[in-house]
Amino acid sequence: MTAVSPSSGLRRDDPAGAATDGAGPAVALDRVTRVFGVSPALVRVDLRIERGETVFLRGANGAGKSTLLRVMATLLSPTYGSGRVLGFDLMAEREEIRSRTEFVGHRTRLYEDLTAAENLRFACRLYGLRTDGAPAALERVGLNDVAGERVRGFSQGMRQRVAVARALLRSPELLLLDEPYAGLDTAARDAVDDLIRATVARGGTAIVATHERARARMTTRTLFMQDGRLLPEGVDA
Amino acid sequence: MSVLLEARAIAAKDLRIEVRGRYALAAVLPFAATLLIVFGLALGPGRATLQTTAPALLWLAVLFASVLSFRRSYEAETEDGALEGLALAPIDRAAIFLGKAAAVTVQLLLLEAAVLALVAVLFGLSVGSDPALLICAFVLGTMGLSAVGSLFGVLEASPRAREAVFPLLVLPLAVPVLLAGVKATAAATVADTGAAAVTTRSGWSWLLLLVAFDAVFIAAGTLVFGYLLED
Repeated sequence: MTAVSPSSGLRRDDPAGAATDGAGPAVALDRVTRVFGVSPALVRVDLRIERGETVFLRGANGAGKSTLLRVMATLLSPTYGSGRVLGFDLMAEREEIRSRTEFVGHRTRLYEDLTAAENLRFACRLYGLRTDGAPAALERVGLNDVAGERVRGFSQGMRQRVAVARALLRSPELLLLDEPYAGLDTAARDAVDDLIRATVARGGTAIVATHERARARMTTRTLFMQDGRLLPEGVDA
Repeated sequence: MSVLLEARAIAAKDLRIEVRGRYALAAVLPFAATLLIVFGLALGPGRATLQTTAPALLWLAVLFASVLSFRRSYEAETEDGALEGLALAPIDRAAIFLGKAAAVTVQLLLLEAAVLALVAVLFGLSVGSDPALLICAFVLGTMGLSAVGSLFGVLEASPRAREAVFPLLVLPLAVPVLLAGVKATAAATVADTGAAAVTTRSGWSWLLLLVAFDAVFIAAGTLVFGYLLED
């Protein structure tokens, strides 16, 4: 890919570009708390993740993993506390963070009545990328045969692979994955692994919320959450 | 990428989805047609009554059809969380508002052409008296409705807002559009309806209200849409 980042001006195929924007660690959170109504989903989370790390977030359902990822992706604002992602302030510099981050959540954010290729081309237009990268991205996740078919008829695994292909288009500096392996077959799981490896190989950072123990070999650290709190490192929930 | 190019990409995507889903053709148009036929039957066979009430019924059908179209426009964004994708994209928030408003405007104008033809047949309304005034009234009125619907349609992401808040916000705000639209449409068909008090000149003056309404809500949507979209 040779497109230019709309905000940074860096070439997307520049291997050094992934780690040269902003300053400081990939993620630095200071007592971040998020409350929904009266229920705290995150409680005074302090977190520092260096660039180039692959960090797995683990914990029971409702432990706060998804909320933490969504705060880092700037989809949710902290109720209290502050933080910086890729050197940019979570609240004041959302656009800078968004242009450098890819978040793949439970939902794949695809348009049901568009084809896989059309979904990817639309993503290219939103991110100011050349649309001719879409076929190659679909080929990397093994979906080039169904590129012209509507997403409505796809299985969950196929949808997840399209979402992975969309992430491959951009070469993000920070990859945030929320339960990316859930319900996927082997080929789709391998596609997720490839995405993580490709991001880290470029100097980027991957943070993955997952229950998968088998993939622990990919990580530099595993963090555990319980009741909205990040447990001290080395403590298993 | 400029705001207009981003808005064009979003509008093109919405129109493509609409063409694929054929929602307007399958649901909105039959709804509007049924509404008009029922009113026509309720009012009886008196041609003068039908012609006098036709502009109001026409705009009522357009209003209800537009609410369905706004909902459909945002349903596509919430089916699989696509609205999150738009929120995370490094694009101007105004582009999302403008793109969605433009797509709904195009859909509604096509729908209105069909509904207008239906009214002309069922109610005997002549659309040839002042076609320029009629076209301006529908284009400006539709732009206004689309601006209001696209601005508050983002609340569709919330299930509670979908059922309660959205109609409460949109329907009262649409009243000026309905009033001006009905008056201008009546003026555009004055020669055939015989409504002597309504002149073509007064019809053009009602368009000023539509222009002002459009300017206010397009500007408001451009400025505040981002705040509605963000957490």
